[in-house]
Amino acid sequence: MAAHPDTELIPYVHGELPAPERERVAQHLRECLDCRRDADELRELLDDLGRAVPRPPDVHWGGYRAELREKLAAHRTRRAWWARPVPLTLSASLAGLLLVVAFLAVQSARQSGTGADFASVEEAAIGDRLGLLEQYQVVERLDLLEEFDLISDLDRLAAERAG
Amino acid sequence: MELSDEVLCRRAAEHDEAAFDALVARYQARAYRLAWSIVRNAEDARDVSQEAFIRLYQSAGKFDGRSKFSTWFYRILVNLCLDHRRKHRWWTLWTRDESDPESEESLLDRQPAPAQNPVDAIGRERTLKRLWEAVGRLAPQQQAAVILQVQEELPTREIAAVLKCSEATVRVHLHRAVSTLRKTLKTTETD
Repeated sequence: MAAHPDTELIPYVHGELPAPERERVAQHLRECLDCRRDADELRELLDDLGRAVPRPPDVHWGGYRAELREKLAAHRTRRAWWARPVPLTLSASLAGLLLVVAFLAVQSARQSGTGADFASVEEAAIGDRLGLLEQYQVVERLDLLEEFDLISDLDRLAAERAG
Repeated sequence: MELSDEVLCRRAAEHDEAAFDALVARYQARAYRLAWSIVRNAEDARDVSQEAFIRLYQSAGKFDGRSKFSTWFYRILVNLCLDHRRKHRWWTLWTRDESDPESEESLLDRQPAPAQNPVDAIGRERTLKRLWEAVGRLAPQQQAAVILQVQEELPTREIAAVLKCSEATVRVHLHRAVSTLRKTLKTTETD
């Protein structure tokens, strides 16, 4: 005897099984009294359920459709969350928060040495603008510039060196 | 000539209001009844079924015609019902009023069985009422499978398409659901 049908029994009772499967179940039911009884009980249970489907309370369909139209209209006018206006207090708070975060970021950058990087970039930019980097000899002895006398005679020294 | 659901859906996708209204008129009773069977509350069933029509309006363009329109629409509706049931499960259990007139309605008044003697009829009514209550307590997927089969008379293939699972899974859901219901039936008979 073939294996007892279990999940095939409901589709069998509803006549939904493909031919080979249906034939196998039918053959089994001819030989197995328990399964035949099972199938009969199942058929009766499903018939009972089908006959006694609970009916929901009545609805006035005109009112139902009018309500649906209202809901649909509300949906159409509703903006997506990103397109909705932000309340004034919330936007002011967000702006304040952004300012504080920006201030803290700048402070932290200065303290962590990133500020030194900024200074060197700035020096290079100024140097480039003054043409100092083109006269490397001068840049090499920048410490001399700290002596005021040398600074006042800088043009003369440069002319002498060229001559 | 009456237009098919699929044609109406395509027109609804192009914002043809008349086509959308026609679909609503065609499916409102089925949608409400199916929603009520799962959520078991008239007001919620009204809301959920209307929400399904709103989703239909918004996503009619996504209907690709590979399945029947009814299958596609039932999928939207059943998903909404199961979501609703999941969200309200504990609240419903906590606030369930056993004297709710909706649940007290006579099943046999509505679907009379073949003539029987009154004692049998009362027993039978009680049994059927308990059976449908037990359907309401099944796991969500099992409950949906039973309702789609028994009430909406959908074949297993379509139930699988609505629940987005295989036919084999639907068979398992139904098999387990029916086993539970038979146990309920036996308990009722021994009471």
